[in-house]
Amino acid sequence: MSAHHHKEDFLFKYVFSTDHKMISKQFLVTGFLMGFLGLVMSTLFRLQLGWPGESFEVIDMFMGSWAEDGVMSPDKYLALVTMHGTIMVFFLLTAGLSGTFSNLLIPLQIGARDMASGFLNMLSYWFFFLSSVIMLISLFVEGGAASAGWTIYPPLSALPQAIPGSGAGMTLWLVAMAIFIVSSLLGSLNYIVTIFNLRTVGMTMTRMPLTIWAFLFTAIIGVLSFPVLLSCALLLIFDRSFGTSFYLSDIYIGGQVLEHSGGSPILFEHLFWFLGHPEVYIVLLPALGITSEIISTMTRKPIFGYRAMIGSMMAIGFLSFIVWGHHMFLTGMNPFLGSVFTFTTLLIAIPSAVKVFNYLTTLWKGNIRFTPATLFSIGLVSTFITGGVTGLVLGDSALDINVHDTYFVVGHFHIVMGLSAIFGMFAGVYHWFPKLFGRMMNNKLGNVHFWLTIICAYGVFFPMHFLGFAGVPRRYYTNSEFPMFDNMIDINEFISMFAILAFFAQLIFFFNFVYSAFRGPRAPQNPWKGNTLEWTAPVEHFHGNWYGEIPHVYRWPYDYSKVDANGDYVSGEDYIPQTVPLGDNEKDGGH
Amino acid sequence: MSMENINYKEEVRRKTSKPLLWIGIVSIIMFFSGLTSAVVVSQGGGSFLKIDLPFAFTISTLIIIASSAAFHFGLISVKKGNLAIAKISVLVTLVLGLSFILTQFLGWVALYENEVYAVGSQSTQESSYLYLLTALHIAHLLGGLISLIVVLVKTIKERYSVDNMLGMQVSITYWHFLGGLWIYLFFFLRYIIA
Amino acid sequence: MTIIVVVAIILLVITGSQLLKIAELRAKSKGELIYEVTEKEGKNLGLMLFAGFFVFMGFFAWQMWKWYGLRLPVSASVHGESIDFLSDLTYFIITPVFILTHAILLWFCYKYAYSSKRKAVFFSHSNKLELIWTTVPSIALTVLILIGLNTWNNTMAPVPEETEHVLLEVTSQQFTWTARYAGEDKKLGRSHVTLIEGVNATGIDKEDENSNDDKLVKGEFHLPVGVPVQFVFRSLDVIHSAYMPHFRAQMNCVPGLKTQFNFVPKITTKEMKKITDNEDFEYILLCNKICGAAHYNMQMNIIVESQEDYDKWLAEQKTFGE
Repeated sequence: MSAHHHKEDFLFKYVFSTDHKMISKQFLVTGFLMGFLGLVMSTLFRLQLGWPGESFEVIDMFMGSWAEDGVMSPDKYLALVTMHGTIMVFFLLTAGLSGTFSNLLIPLQIGARDMASGFLNMLSYWFFFLSSVIMLISLFVEGGAASAGWTIYPPLSALPQAIPGSGAGMTLWLVAMAIFIVSSLLGSLNYIVTIFNLRTVGMTMTRMPLTIWAFLFTAIIGVLSFPVLLSCALLLIFDRSFGTSFYLSDIYIGGQVLEHSGGSPILFEHLFWFLGHPEVYIVLLPALGITSEIISTMTRKPIFGYRAMIGSMMAIGFLSFIVWGHHMFLTGMNPFLGSVFTFTTLLIAIPSAVKVFNYLTTLWKGNIRFTPATLFSIGLVSTFITGGVTGLVLGDSALDINVHDTYFVVGHFHIVMGLSAIFGMFAGVYHWFPKLFGRMMNNKLGNVHFWLTIICAYGVFFPMHFLGFAGVPRRYYTNSEFPMFDNMIDINEFISMFAILAFFAQLIFFFNFVYSAFRGPRAPQNPWKGNTLEWTAPVEHFHGNWYGEIPHVYRWPYDYSKVDANGDYVSGEDYIPQTVPLGDNEKDGGH
Repeated sequence: MSMENINYKEEVRRKTSKPLLWIGIVSIIMFFSGLTSAVVVSQGGGSFLKIDLPFAFTISTLIIIASSAAFHFGLISVKKGNLAIAKISVLVTLVLGLSFILTQFLGWVALYENEVYAVGSQSTQESSYLYLLTALHIAHLLGGLISLIVVLVKTIKERYSVDNMLGMQVSITYWHFLGGLWIYLFFFLRYIIA
Repeated sequence: MTIIVVVAIILLVITGSQLLKIAELRAKSKGELIYEVTEKEGKNLGLMLFAGFFVFMGFFAWQMWKWYGLRLPVSASVHGESIDFLSDLTYFIITPVFILTHAILLWFCYKYAYSSKRKAVFFSHSNKLELIWTTVPSIALTVLILIGLNTWNNTMAPVPEETEHVLLEVTSQQFTWTARYAGEDKKLGRSHVTLIEGVNATGIDKEDENSNDDKLVKGEFHLPVGVPVQFVFRSLDVIHSAYMPHFRAQMNCVPGLKTQFNFVPKITTKEMKKITDNEDFEYILLCNKICGAAHYNMQMNIIVESQEDYDKWLAEQKTFGE
């Protein structure tokens, strides 16, 4: 051994690392950088929406020739909206969230030294990195970035004549997404196989923390749905570049009739939403898993209804594959199909309600420690409720007729999917920061960040429902062309002011994040007194996670505040790590 | 520590190679079911012109079945310890794999001669699908060929034995899958497009 | 300007870092761990969350008071009434759920904030409770689904051929709408993009005898009150969506496909001006599917009037044959 002993050089330790913990950090940092860009974009277009046509120096500074005299042009507004959506949904909340925490927690919580294939895992990150770079380059090509909305419906996305962004920008968008899909598939492959095959001794499936269950379902959904998006994108690439007619038919644009015939844009929508809807749960489930774990640890109580939580995640995952039509109620689909999709869509409310009530019962008679991670988890429960209930309006085909594609939709999905997922991600970062960087984040700044964020989040997205009641369509550059929307300018200004404040609130987080990563107080091994295996691993990082043998597991992860017949804690403390063997009269699994 | 590490890595490889492949196969299946259901949806939208499927595709189907059989024979030979026959079998598999690509290519030539075009203004939806599906199958087959070459080299170097044939097993699983995928595509093309 | 901003940011970061350092040192000198939440802090945060409930509900009420009045006026179509009823019913169910769950959530945060004197209760599952909150939402959903499906099917059923109705084709293209009335024969002439030529901007087939009496209008179209309107939608270029919010009507316009919607207008523009107390009120058709740079300004006015006024107006319009 000594003969071959060599220092890991910089390149392989920090760049082409195959260690899941380093890859996790790489995903986190790349995801946050992309997310920050998405945030900047939304702040810029909120300026336009709040004060349409007014000149802003910041817009001029950031957008240059895209915004003459500090006023962005309508097609560049759409480019910003499109890129904001793409970046937030895929780069921040799919790769950034799932990539970070699946990578960090799967091996550590199930007791494995690394992922099934470190090499594929590294490849997954670098494909993601490449995809991010290409997506960023697409901002700087002739015609500007893709501007057909993040759903890139053809023919708009297929024809540069229809909007300038559908030229080179769209091509790069598609290339970036194809690479992204490969990255996501490689990641998911690894996650699933690791969970099924590399659990430590005693770690049965029903002793896995809910985080792992959530990551497992997320990965399975990803493996089943992302390939379909790839086929969808592939056909679009052919239509755009090689003159095929999969999606295009009977088009007259720019003074001439195109040669495409026989295709159908509806086919695109079907293929797209077959991924698109499961994607919502790819984003949401990891956040739900993370908060289940945090809420249980911080209330010092077992999560209520462990099996029901798993069951409801499974039900949500299954249903997510048979509801995609609810995005397409108004595409002229057969009304009977619409009825079927309404039925399946509204069914999702049942497992979701179960989850919410289980969260509430977990809090009941707990002993709650309010770290920033707890606060964000509570925030998630709140946004999950607020955004969830309006889903009953949108999922109902009859009601969808009048709110489809209005700001009501924007409000709904930002709250239920955007906010819930990002709150889950923030909670995860605060909670597992000691595991990621071996240091602690600052609580006070964390609290300030939480309060500002939740106030701004509701300040931004709640009023959007009222815009929806007034019939204001989304993706409008300005509402000033319609006298019926003149009264809405107040609401838009209100929203924009909160959006700007929200932007600054995130700066607090980024400062806290960077400062704590380098200068924060050193973390003890188990700062939150958690039961799960990651807290039995040493603080310092090395490839292999545990010195010596991997710990064995003897119980489920939620033995918090377990008392014996006399009302005393079984172990003398209010938590019993999974590595502690069961006592003589003790039963496993919350009995 | 070092020795234990190597054992652990070996154990991980043993436990996870096949599952990794299987889940990869699931995602490839989803990819192709996305495409073939796109064909079905497109067909529902309008009239589909029928295309005569070239005879070459029938031959290639037989070839790929034969190659799977040859590969399987190779695996059995390794199990029986008969490495000489294994070498020949794997070589035959590789040759058959290459001839499969060749016959597919001949199939395209025949299509082209019949004025069935892949892309461009004279192409139709069904002709584009036909070329696209066959080409994407070959794209996946290339991966199989690379693994086949690795297996061939290792067989020639006599690296495989009864207790050490994981690489070969993984490769053969993927190869059988590609065969099955082609048979599915063949019948799909035969009865939906052609 | 840029320099000032950069300098300000750097100064802020330095000050922030120093403040954090000082706070840590002070905690250390007291023998505390800065990242531990003390019991008092925890109680305060719990209280703040509970107070947050009232602030949140206050915010909700304030918005209702200030902005609910801006919502669309009463439905101007017959089927829209059942949509509005279903909508009200849904809000009637979800609003209490929204308020109650938040009340419970944030009350628990206050009530069960950390105390060293208390032990958390080990309560891991209860089949009875879980059964209750699976069943109750299921029942509420069954009601919503049944009414919803009924409303949906009634709305989407096309107008029967034999019923007296207006047949109207709406064609969308970047960034304008064209409406075409079927004319005397009540039949729309054939149309296709390949036939677009000069003034025939929507590609109507001149050879088709049904085309000649069709009437094309731009800018605004009129509808008689109380008569069913059967819409047919086309698009010449990209996907658009014909959204008529006052009629609770919307349908996508897809190139290469004909889509349909129908409704019975029941309030004339004049009456609606009175109802909304707004002299300038107009019904409107707007595009609601991203379609390009000027997506935000793709509109057409709709005027609902009495049968006589409508007949008079229609008679003034030129036919396609002319």
